[in-house]
Order: sequence, then C-alpha cells, then structure tokens
Amino acid sequence: MISERVKSNLKQTFSESLLPKIGLLLLISILFMAMFAPILATHDPTRTGHYTEEGAEYPPLGHEYTTQVAADGEIGEVTVRGSSEHVLGTNNVGQDVYSRFLYGARISLLVGLLGTSMAVAIGVPVGLVAGYYGGRVDDGLMRIADVMLAFPALVLALALIGVFGESPVQVPDPIVLAGLAEGMPESIPIPGTVTIVVGLVTWVWFARVARGEALSIRNEEYVKAARSFGASNWTILSKHVLPNSLTPIIVLATIQVAVIILLEASLAYLGFSGTTLSWGYEIERGQDVLRTRPWVSMLPGIGIVLAVISVNLLGDWFRDALDPNIEGEGR
Amino acid sequence: MTEDVLRVNDLSTRFFTTEGQINAVSSLDLRIERGEIFGIVGESGSGKSVTARSVMNLIESPGEITSGEIWYRNRDLVAEVEDDYPDAVDGEFVDLLELPDDLRRSLRGTSFSMIFQDPESSFNSTLTVGEQLAEAVEVQRRASANPRSTRARTREYSLGNYLLSSVLPSQRYVSEASRERAIELLEMVGIPDPVERADEYPHEYSGGMLQRAMIAQALAGEPDVLVADEPTTALDVTIQAQVLDLLDDLQERTGMTILLITHNLGVIARMCDRVGVMYAGEIVERGRLEDVFDEHVHPYTEGLLGSVPDLERAGDRLQPIPGNVPSLIDAEMDDRCYFADRCPKAMETCLEHPPEYDAGGSDRHQARCVLAEIDYEEGRALPADYFGDTERPAGDKHADPDRTEDDVEPERTRSVVDDSGGDRR
Amino acid sequence: MSSGQPLVRVEELQKYFWEQDSILDRLLGAEPVPVRAVDGVSFDIYRGETLGLVGESGCGKSTAGETLLRLQEPTDGHVEFDEHDVYELAGSELTEFRRDAQVVFQDPFSSLDPRMTIGEIVRQPLDVHNVDTVEKRRERVRELLERVGLSADQLDRYPHEFSGGQRQRIGIARALALEPEFLVLDEPTSALDVSVQAQVLNLLDELQAEFDLTYLLISHDLSVIRHICDRVAVMYLGEIVEIGPVEAIFEEPKHPYTEALLESVPRATTDERERDRETISGDVPSPRDPPSGCRFRTRCPKVIPPDDVEIDQEEYRAIMDLRERIERRDISLESVGEDGGFEFVDGAVSETDLPAFVTALKTRVIDRTLAPEHDEVVEEALAELASSNWERAADVLSSRYESVCERRRPELGEESHPAACHLHDDAEESIRR
Repeated sequence: MISERVKSNLKQTFSESLLPKIGLLLLISILFMAMFAPILATHDPTRTGHYTEEGAEYPPLGHEYTTQVAADGEIGEVTVRGSSEHVLGTNNVGQDVYSRFLYGARISLLVGLLGTSMAVAIGVPVGLVAGYYGGRVDDGLMRIADVMLAFPALVLALALIGVFGESPVQVPDPIVLAGLAEGMPESIPIPGTVTIVVGLVTWVWFARVARGEALSIRNEEYVKAARSFGASNWTILSKHVLPNSLTPIIVLATIQVAVIILLEASLAYLGFSGTTLSWGYEIERGQDVLRTRPWVSMLPGIGIVLAVISVNLLGDWFRDALDPNIEGEGR
Repeated sequence: MTEDVLRVNDLSTRFFTTEGQINAVSSLDLRIERGEIFGIVGESGSGKSVTARSVMNLIESPGEITSGEIWYRNRDLVAEVEDDYPDAVDGEFVDLLELPDDLRRSLRGTSFSMIFQDPESSFNSTLTVGEQLAEAVEVQRRASANPRSTRARTREYSLGNYLLSSVLPSQRYVSEASRERAIELLEMVGIPDPVERADEYPHEYSGGMLQRAMIAQALAGEPDVLVADEPTTALDVTIQAQVLDLLDDLQERTGMTILLITHNLGVIARMCDRVGVMYAGEIVERGRLEDVFDEHVHPYTEGLLGSVPDLERAGDRLQPIPGNVPSLIDAEMDDRCYFADRCPKAMETCLEHPPEYDAGGSDRHQARCVLAEIDYEEGRALPADYFGDTERPAGDKHADPDRTEDDVEPERTRSVVDDSGGDRR
Repeated sequence: MSSGQPLVRVEELQKYFWEQDSILDRLLGAEPVPVRAVDGVSFDIYRGETLGLVGESGCGKSTAGETLLRLQEPTDGHVEFDEHDVYELAGSELTEFRRDAQVVFQDPFSSLDPRMTIGEIVRQPLDVHNVDTVEKRRERVRELLERVGLSADQLDRYPHEFSGGQRQRIGIARALALEPEFLVLDEPTSALDVSVQAQVLNLLDELQAEFDLTYLLISHDLSVIRHICDRVAVMYLGEIVEIGPVEAIFEEPKHPYTEALLESVPRATTDERERDRETISGDVPSPRDPPSGCRFRTRCPKVIPPDDVEIDQEEYRAIMDLRERIERRDISLESVGEDGGFEFVDGAVSETDLPAFVTALKTRVIDRTLAPEHDEVVEEALAELASSNWERAADVLSSRYESVCERRRPELGEESHPAACHLHDDAEESIRR
C-alpha cells in the first residue's frame, strides 16, 4: 500500500527540513512518557495528601513560595521549599504533579488516537460511499454531514455528554499487571463518552475528504476498466477507491489527532471528562491558584502545546511528502 | 535574400532535479529568418518546448539556461542598450541573455509573443475577453513608450481603480482607444460579431474561439516573433484547420516571424518553410520542408515520418521506431549519437557523438548523422543487442522534468471532460 | 469479412446526462437540462471486423462506447451482444458478458491503478472471475505481458515506472486476460507519441488476427481510423451522420461533415501547403440545445435553400447566421445606436432615423453585399429590429429562407454506405420509385 516512491519522498522531505525531525522527536518522547508512565512516575498519580509538614503544596524543586497556613488554631505565614520527593511539586489536593503529567499524556494520546480512529471509521466509509455512488446517496449523506458541521464541535460534544453521561471505562494497565511498577494504580480510567463523542463530532471532515477523493477516483479509467471486467462495487471500493484516497486521509488524520487532543482538553477543563487524569482537568484545577501556585496548570499546559505541535509537524511532513501534486505519484 | 531575425548559438538548458541533472536542451543552434515560419517538431521529451521557453525567457527553477547566446536583430533595441550593455551588442544584434531580466521582460509582447496550447489557463475567468485584450494593448503601449518603467502600469491598475471598475462599467476599460483596439484585434483573428463577443467572459467562448482570442492577445503588441507552442494540439481537426489558416493569413499580412513548436508532422507540412527535427535535446536534422520530408538523411526523421498512418492510402504495416524516448539525465547519457540505441542503421561510428553534417538537398539541409557523409555498411553495424534491452522502463518520465512538454495531454483531458460534460458530479 | 450475424447490434441508443438534477435544484424548482451526449445511434459490428467510430471531442463517441458496454446505463435503446440484450443481462449471463467484452482506455496514466503492481493489475480480471488456480493465473499474467511486448520480470513494478506506450501495452494485456471476443478501444493511441503510437497500432493489428478479436475503435484521428478499420461510422453531436466501408468513407464521402473532416486533416507531405482546402467555419453547437433538423446545418457548406430561392451558399450562410443571432437576441442594438447617434425611445428608433439605422445595422451584421432581392428581405427584418421586434424580424427571415435541413431530421438509410443528409434524399427516393 505504501509504495517505494512514498517512502523515498518521506525520507527526502524528512532529511531536507528540520521541522519533521522536531515533530518526530517530540512525539516519540511523549509516546515514551505515556507508555512507561507507571515506571517513570514517582508516585501514584491519584493519591492525594502529599503536603509539606506545614500542610502546604510542594513547589517544584529549587523553588519556594510563602503561603498562609493554619497551625494550632492560628494562621501563620510560612515559606515552603521544593522537595526532591516531588520534583515538580504537588497540586492543591496534594497529588504529585510530575506523575500526573505522565499519566495525563496517556489520556491525551489515547483519546486522540481512539477518537481519530472512531472518526475515520465513521467518516471514511460514509464519504467513500457517498462519493462513489453519487446521486441521491451522495445528496442524502452529505446533507447529514452538513447538519453536523452546522454545530460547533464543542457544543455538540457537551450536548452528547449531557445525554449519555461520562461513563469512564477502567482500562487495566499492562505494565503494572506485569509487575514492572509498584504502587501504581492497576487500571486507569479512560473517558468513555468523550472518546466516542470526539469521534462523532469530527467524522464529518473525514467524510468530506473521502468523498472528494472518491468522486475523482470513480471517474478514473482504472475504475471503469474494473467495472468492465465485472468487478463488484465492493471490490472496486476496497481495492481501488480506498487505497487511492488514503494519502489525504492520513494527512487529515494526523492533524485531526491534534484537534481531538485539544477538544478533550477543553472538555476536561469544563469538567466533562470522566477522568481526573487529564491535562485539561489539571489546568482547570490549577486555575484557582494560578497566581500563587502556577506550576499546577503550567506543566499540563506545556504538555498540550507540545503534543499538538508535534502532531501538526508530522502532519505537515506527511502532507509535503505524500501530496501527489508535489511529486508525480499517480495523477 | 532575407535576413536572420534570431540567432541562437550553443544554447543549453538544464533542469536540476532530485533525480539528477536533466539536459533538456543541449548546445542548440538555430537561425530564424525574418518573415518565415520555422517549425520544430519532436516527440514529448525532445526539448522542443524548453527551446521555445528558453527563447522567451520563461525557464523557471529548477531549470536554468546554462550556456549559449540568443542574438536578436533589432536596431531600436541596439540603440537603446548599447551604452549600458556594450557587451550585449554586436552589429544589429543584441544578445538577450546578456540583458537584465526586467529589460528582457519588456520585450515580451512587443518583440516576442507566445501562444500556448491551453488557452483556458491563459485568461482570467473573472474579466471579459475584451478587457483582457485591452489590458494587453495598454501594457504594450506603455512598454513601448517607456520600456524601463512598469510603474505607470501599477498606478493605473491600482486597487482603487479596480474597486471603481467593479462599480462603474464605464471604468472597466483603461481607455476607449484600447477597447476599440481590442475589438479590432478580435475581428482580425476572425471572431464573428466582435463587438458583442468582447463583452463576454472566457467561459462563454468555445475552445477554438479562445485560441483565437489568445492569438489576438499575443498580437496586441505587434511582435516581431511569435512563438507558438503546440497551438492546435488541444483543438479538434476542423477547428485546428481554422486556426492554422488564421495563423498563415496573419503571418502573410503582418510579415511576422513564427516559431512553431509541434509534435504533429501534418501541421508542420501545412505551415512551415523550414523545419528542425528535435531528438533528445538536439536538432538532429534541419532544412527546408522538402529537404526534411523528402530528402531526409537521419534515420530518426525517417522513423518519425514512417510512423504516421497515411490518410490517403489504406494501411500497410506501419514502420515504428523501436524502443522508447531516451533518458535525458546527464549521468545516463553516453557520449554517442543519442539515437543509436533505437537506430536500425547504427554503426560503430555512431558511438561518437556526431557533429552536424551538410546533407545535400538545399544548402541549409543539415543532419546530425554520419549517414550524411558515409553510406551504411552492414559490416560495420553494431550487433542488435549492443545496447541491451531497449524496453527500459520509464524512459519518458525522466525526459519530462516539470511537465513542460505534456503536449499530448490536454487533448485527452478535454475530450474526457467534454464527453461526460453533463455527468452528475 | 462483414457477413453473417453481427456480434454487436446497437439500436437507437440514447444517453442523456442531466444537469441541475440535485435535490437542491429540485427544491429551487429548476428543470433538469438534458445533455444529449448520444442521441439515437444504431450500428452493427460484425465478427472479426474493426468498426471505427470517429468524431470530434464532445460528439458522444466515448459515451457511446461506454454505454454499449453497460459501463453507463442508457437513457433509451438496445444493445445486443451475441444475440442477447446487454441491458437485460443478469447473473451468470452478465458475468459472461463481462468476460467477453473488454475495453482499452485512452489515458495510459489514469487507466492503471497507481497503487498496484502491473502483475496485480493484469491479474485482477482473473481474480475477479476466479479463473484457474492462483499459480496458473500467475503463469497467464507472464504470458500476457510477454505477448504485448513487455518483460515478465517487470511484474512487480508499479505503473509510474513505465512510459506511456508501455502502460498502454499493460492496459491491453489486462483487457486480453479473460480471452474476450470484443474490445472497445477508446482512443488507444491519442496520448502517445507517433512513433509509439505506431508500435501500439501494429500490436493491436497482430492481436486481432491472433485471437479473432472484434474491435470498436473510437478515435478522433482519421489517419488511425483509416489505417486499421474495416468500416467507419462518423459521429457529429450525438448522431451518426455517415457509416460505411473505410474505402468508401475516405474516397467518396457523402456527408458534408465527413468531407469537411477529411479536408481539415493536415497531411504530412510537402505539397500540403498547396493543397486546396475546404475547411468549415464555426464551432460545434452545444449538446444541451442541439439545432433542429440536421445538426450539422449551422456549419454546413451545402445547406439546401428552399426550392424557390436562388441564392449562393455564402450569402445564404450569412443570412442564416444573422437569423440565428436574431433568434438568440445576440445583437447589441444599443451599441449600434450609440455609434450612429440614434436614440431609442421606448425601445424603438424614430421614423426619420430608420433608414440610416438599418444601413448602420446591416454593415455591422452582414459582411458582404447581397443580391438585391435578398437585400430587401434582410432590410425588412432589420427594420423590425429598429423597434426591438425580435420575433417579427426572425419570422421575416424564416418565412423566406427556411431550409429543409432545419425542418426535417435526415434519416440514416439502410444501405451499405448511408449518410444522414438531405442532399442524398433525392437519390434515395428516386431509387425507391
């Protein structure tokens, strides 16, 4: 499916430009963090109560801040220093920020990938069928897609979550189960509804792209030739139309992962996630104490930005390398 | 005897692509006389379009003219540039490649004009044909009044004027005179009812009419030399016949020189006084039409003519040229006759790159083939498998670096579009 | 050669495409507009022969080819293949037809799936029809590739690694895979260089003899048609205007359009410049709104004037063009008014200006001097225009000059070399009498 020519294009674009390298490096690091979160983490990310002796949150190592604490019935000011126990500090319920950051990467990437797969799974068949059959089928399917587009994604997502609830799904953690990490949660909660909902609100883009491709591919002479020797519509769709429309779909999917990561973060920020192990949720939690304890929100914020940038850079790379208009792969 | 209007010496145009250096045009010499129609014929990838574009200064990256001189005879131009660029002047000739870009650009339209095979992409679909012709007229007028300044143009084509023109129809034409000239040009190229047609948009024109309109646009500046790159390839035969008649007629009336690029030998025979046959970036045979068509020496010319099915007689078996169009990648080009691997008469001597020999017939008949000097001897022939398997994959892919020579394509696209014009898409 | 039962019999085949036909257009109340790509064509193709279908772009020849293979559903008409109605076929009979009739396309770039190796491409028809074992299919693919002049070692390469001519050979190999009886060749060499075109034409020639193939060759290139066809059908604007043996079509064309086509092709010989050419003017009309009667009449150099009118063809053409412009209301009266300083009051020129206006208008729309009797009629019509009375003006002209060519659609006869032209009506009728 991926021809030699595509491979060489990918290589060439990669070697010619710095940006794909940065993107790939970033994405690999984030993936690494997410995969080995239980090993890399220093604390159970869900355990609360990591406070200093004075009962205040830890700042990141090497930082200090003054805060008011109640001790012995009196309110006094204390200066709190970072500890090597919690290198990036703790949040306002006393959870280890660093550990939560690692687990947050898991949720973001999982939702991003699963949500995109969901969108691809719905959008691509719909688009291919609409474009290939054309006529009334196309009219019908595309009007539905237009209606979907008329709602802002976030509003639609909120409405769907309102209807179906958050329904978090507990996913067992293979690394912990294999005994490679101790003291970590045995399963992590994936925001079930959110994963499906982000797919449902973004499939339209895939449908549109797939339809456009199918529309032009169905007029290609190799499709007519296949019909002339009696290939079924199913054969034509799966053997010719799908493989030849993959390039723009791959490019879109890469970019869509970033969109979905942002969407998930927004939903979590608004409190509709179903899991607390999310960068978006963490930003919301840190919002109240942004002035005094900025590290609570800052790290997950940086996480989101880096994840989105890395995926977008890869998307650009794919687009540059796969775009048939740039190198004459087929026409 | 007539005089040369254009002398191209040792012109080489190369494309620097990731697949390697492509020698699209190699050490090409060309003499074109004032008032003649000179044809360049060749297959796709032979370098004929690149030659035209090189003359027009339309080579774009990754292409580059790497060497050569393009001498253009024009006394006015000599007078204008001899102080600033003494190196570029030789008698009545100016070497265009020695001139700076903006000066060369100012020659486009007034000294050189070009028409392309695809008229649709040469017109802006949001302006009427008349407006676009009038614009060409104005630009040419200003360019000839003040060749070094394009500022006047920017002033009159400012945003304010544009906005004004979309509100006030009277502002649409730069001047009444240019509108009249536009209508006159349309009439000259044989568009019926030019007054009404001038106010129509390009999509209301048929392909043939648009081709005429493009010719009108090219003639707006009364050029010395008209470069016509596959001007009729996208057209149907009945329309092609009309356009060829028109070009012939215009040439007779204005006395301009036409450099006609085509892959169609019939068009060459119909139009040209002299012909150059191109193969692999070189002119392999040149001469008067009769020399090349009837007295040809080069086996490639022979093969090309033998490949055309005869309209007048029912078919014997065609005599095609075996193999494929050669690779023009520098690294893959051996220093031999580039046609030798497909040539039925290849001999040992062909392993050296041949110069141009005089080839009998008229005194201008030359061929880049040893057969002009010596007779074919079977004893010295190269063995049939000397060059290995001639069915080398993808020969013509390399030969076409930036699709400058997709001569035969639009015909295909057009008829596909036309035939299914009303399909529900 | 052309004897016995025809292999393919096409009867009154019609294929319209519809414009403005989406739900939205329906809602907005737009009437669907038919584009008459193929409008009632009939022809037979006999076993072992090559029928050429020639015409300019947009004449419907490719659509006819695709429709008769049932790659598009027809609007009306019948196609019989081997005495079975192609559009009634279903199940195993349809499968059978799909094996027996194949197509080779024009575009060597778009006709091969860029993501399949050429081995897969050629094998695909065999896979679809589950022919033999996988091992035998591979063997067959190798044979086919070698037969069309490619090396079987190139099986695993992708189409982009091949030149245009080689790709076309691959397309031919694919079409031959199921051992068909009938091949539609849709502009098989139009995208190729002449030298390569000759190779492919020779190949097609050999294959026909070797496998007893019947060809329908669709092409705009008359010299290719002449070279390989036994019989030729000439199409113009969705209709067949003339059909006959290749010699007859090329040596004694009957229809003025066929004559014009043949005249228009530039010959690759040195006396081409001196050849006396009779080319035709004008463009092909739109298939959305084809002319009444004979569709070629708007460009025809031999339109038949009414019996009682003495007029030479050029004058007649000028008057017919004028009438058509009046019918389309395509004369800018205002600009004539402006140029001549006439004023329109309520869409009419004042009485006193009338003669001057008519003269100004006439120089504008008729570029020749007419014989007095015709001049008079034209002036009468133009005078109607002075009061913007378009319909009356058109009536004045049509009542005098209406030709049989626009009233009646000429029929294609049944003989061996019929032409759909009223010029040949008389001959035909007198024979019948």
